[in-house]
Amino acid sequence: MGQNDFTDEFGFTAPLPVTHAQRKIPDEGFATGPAVGARLPDFELQSHTGERIALHADRGDSKAAVVFFRSAVW
Amino acid sequence: MTQLGELQKALPRFEAAGIKLYAVSYDEPEALAAFAHAQGIGFPLLADSGSAVIRRFGILNTFVAETDAPFYGIPFPGTYVLDEEGIVREKFFRRHLANRESADTVLESALGEILMGEADPRADAGDEDVRVTAFFHGGPLRSGPLRRVVVRFELRDGLHIYAEPVPDGMVATDVIVEGPDGLMVEAPILPPSEPLRLEVLDADLQVWSGTVDIAVPIWANSELVCIMRPVDPNVVTLDVTVRYQACDDTTCLMPRTERLRVEVPLAPHDVPAFLDGTGHRGVDVDSMKYFRDMVNRTRG
Repeated sequence: MGQNDFTDEFGFTAPLPVTHAQRKIPDEGFATGPAVGARLPDFELQSHTGERIALHADRGDSKAAVVFFRSAVW
Repeated sequence: MTQLGELQKALPRFEAAGIKLYAVSYDEPEALAAFAHAQGIGFPLLADSGSAVIRRFGILNTFVAETDAPFYGIPFPGTYVLDEEGIVREKFFRRHLANRESADTVLESALGEILMGEADPRADAGDEDVRVTAFFHGGPLRSGPLRRVVVRFELRDGLHIYAEPVPDGMVATDVIVEGPDGLMVEAPILPPSEPLRLEVLDADLQVWSGTVDIAVPIWANSELVCIMRPVDPNVVTLDVTVRYQACDDTTCLMPRTERLRVEVPLAPHDVPAFLDGTGHRGVDVDSMKYFRDMVNRTRG
């Protein structure tokens, strides 16, 4: 399968053209935010249950994984 | 979404290990609530609706143009793994939007060790000096999400194997994973090695001892697994070639090459469902309502 309007440079095919905003692939070296070894900057956001959650206070002394994902809608 | 569904499935294991999970997106809280309800998500989905945190972190996806609203505002998708102090110990970001780390990878990053699953397909070789096991880890192979082939060396006390670079005549440890067309193989992830000074060769080397895990992330592109056609066949064979030389402080064993074959399952998927266009196949939620809201908010 060669590269075409629907198949990207990774050989991934989907029913939207590769030029669509949903399929834009960042260039090498794109920004990945806070560095390994640094404290993750704190933030406070509303959760899906309506609760306001401040990351580090909510986490307490626990390890944690913080996932930034595209969207729950599309 | 495969990623959050996988994390939810693994949530009891995160909780048992005392590791908290959070997921952040640019969605509205109501959209996250509907999604969480439909998927049975039991950890906080956090609404960064104006992308303020995403911008502050410097991970706003700048390859999506502002004129591409309502898609503008998404982050580069990725995961930060934090220790007890909130320090980032590892982070996972990939260029391809479909590439996401498995729940196992995130959990085991926080734990600091790879836990071979009882049901993980595997093959082994070796002897009482060095045992070599290759196992496929993280769930069935899918189009996009990353899985790992892990090669585990169990070395007899006193033995070590070598990391690159090595002087002429010595063999560095090497793992090669090959499979059918469409199998995407990433660079191996090596554990930290220890220095070893070999006076006789006037060489400073890097070695591993004890139990050594080398993990190779893999995924399937559309040549192997395409969302627009059924999975057939539903099993593929991976060829794992492992080369190494084990030595103790005075003598070396012969270099070895092990060829292991691991049968790997492909995840089935619902082909007709791709037409719903939401990207969240198999989830019973009216995404279009929230998508309309998302379009409208960008007009504000």
